[in-house]
Amino acid sequence: MKYTHFIFVWLLLIWCSFFVRTASASRPLILQVLSSKTLNGTAGDFVTIQGSIKNMSTQAIQGVTTYLSLSDNQTHKPVDLEDWSAEKGLYVGTIDANATLPLNWKIHFVKAGDYSLIIIAETAGDPVPQVSEITQFHVAPKKNLNPAQVLPVALGTPIVLIFLLFLAAYGRRVDE
Amino acid sequence: MTIWKKELRGELYSWKSMLWLVIASLSFSLTSYLLLTNKELSLLDQTELMWLLAKVIIGIGLLVTALDAASILTVEFDKDTAENIFLSPVSLSNLMLGKFMSVLTLWAAIFFVSIPYIIVASVGSGLTIPFLAHVTLLGTVGVSAFTLLILGLSLLFRTSKNTITTSLVMLLALGIPATFTTTLKNDLVSQLISHINPIDAIFSSLDNVLVDYHTSVLENWQFLLPLIVFLAITVVFLYGSERIFMKQGVVNND
Repeated sequence: MKYTHFIFVWLLLIWCSFFVRTASASRPLILQVLSSKTLNGTAGDFVTIQGSIKNMSTQAIQGVTTYLSLSDNQTHKPVDLEDWSAEKGLYVGTIDANATLPLNWKIHFVKAGDYSLIIIAETAGDPVPQVSEITQFHVAPKKNLNPAQVLPVALGTPIVLIFLLFLAAYGRRVDE
Repeated sequence: MTIWKKELRGELYSWKSMLWLVIASLSFSLTSYLLLTNKELSLLDQTELMWLLAKVIIGIGLLVTALDAASILTVEFDKDTAENIFLSPVSLSNLMLGKFMSVLTLWAAIFFVSIPYIIVASVGSGLTIPFLAHVTLLGTVGVSAFTLLILGLSLLFRTSKNTITTSLVMLLALGIPATFTTTLKNDLVSQLISHINPIDAIFSSLDNVLVDYHTSVLENWQFLLPLIVFLAITVVFLYGSERIFMKQGVVNND
C-alpha cells in the first residue's frame, strides 16, 4: 500500500515538472520582485521597488514593456500612479536569450493605506501579459498639519498689517 | 529712481491706498485656515493645498499689479497731467522704468505678506524653501511680463477705462484655461494653448515643484522657457509701444 502511494506521488511530481516546463516554454519571461515582498513606511517616504525580468527562452524577445500596477486594498480599486512614481512604465525593448535585466522603480508613498503592487510585462505580439508576485505595503498616515499653527498666522497677519497701516497714517498726521 | 519714489509715495500715502493689502492678507488667511484645519490630511493633500495657496498668492499678485499697471500711467491722461510729465526732462524709458518698479513693489508687498502663510502651510513637508523660491521666481517673472504688456497697452490706449478692461479680460482669458484639469487638456489644440499660456506655465511649474517634488530650476525648464519667452515678447511690445507713442506725440489721442 505504501509503495502504491510512493509511485503515485512520484508520477504526480513527473507530471507537475512536465506542466511547469510546458508553462515556462509558453511563458518565456519571468518577472521577479527582488526587494521585500512586504514594505512598510509613512506617507512621504520614498522606497525603491527592485525587480528583474528574465528571458527563459533560447531566442531574443523583442518589444517588451514593463509597468507597475497599484491597487488599494481597502477600496479594491486601482490607484492613479501619477503622484506615486515619475516612471510608471519602462520600455525594455529586446531581451537576449537567457538574459536577465534589472527593473527599478522609485515609489513615493503619497497616501496612507494598504496597497498591492505588481509588475506587468507586455510583449509585442503576445496577447497575454505576464505578471510578477504581489508586493504588499502598508503606508502609515503622516500628521503634517496642525491647526494650532495656522490660527495665529491667519488672525495675526491681517491684525498686524492693520496696526502698521494705522501707525503709518498716524505718523504722517503728526508730521503734518 | 525719482519716479519710482514719487509713485510709491502716491501708492502708499494713506491707509486707504493700502487697504487692498489687508484684504489680500485676509484672503490668504481664509484659504490657509480652511485648508489647514482638517484634522488629518495625507501628504498629497498637504502638497495640493500648498499648490492651491501658491496659485492664490500669484493670482492675487497678478490681479493687483495688473489693475495698478493699467491705471498708473493712464490716470495721467485722464487727469490731463500727461503733457506736463512727458514734457519734463525725463526720458520716456526712465518714466516707464519708474512706473514698472512701482508696480513691482506692490508684488513685493504681497509676497512679503504671504511669507508667514507659506511657512505655516509647508511645515513638515520639507518644501518650505522650494515653495518660497518658486513663488518668488514665477511670481516675479509673471508679474513683470504682464506689467510690461499693460504699460505698453497704456501708451497705445491712453485711457484708463479701455486699458483696465482689456487688461482684466486678457488676464481672465489666460487665467481661466490655466485652471482646467489635465483631462480637459488632452487634445492637440488644448495642449498647444497650455504650452504657450504663461499663467498655465506658472501653475504647471508650481505643480511640478510642490506635488511632483521636481524642485530644481533645470527640472522646471519646460515651464520657465515659455514664461521667459513671454517676458521677452512684452519687453519688445513695450519698446514698440514707446516708439509708436513718440511718433504720435503726447497730445494725439485718437
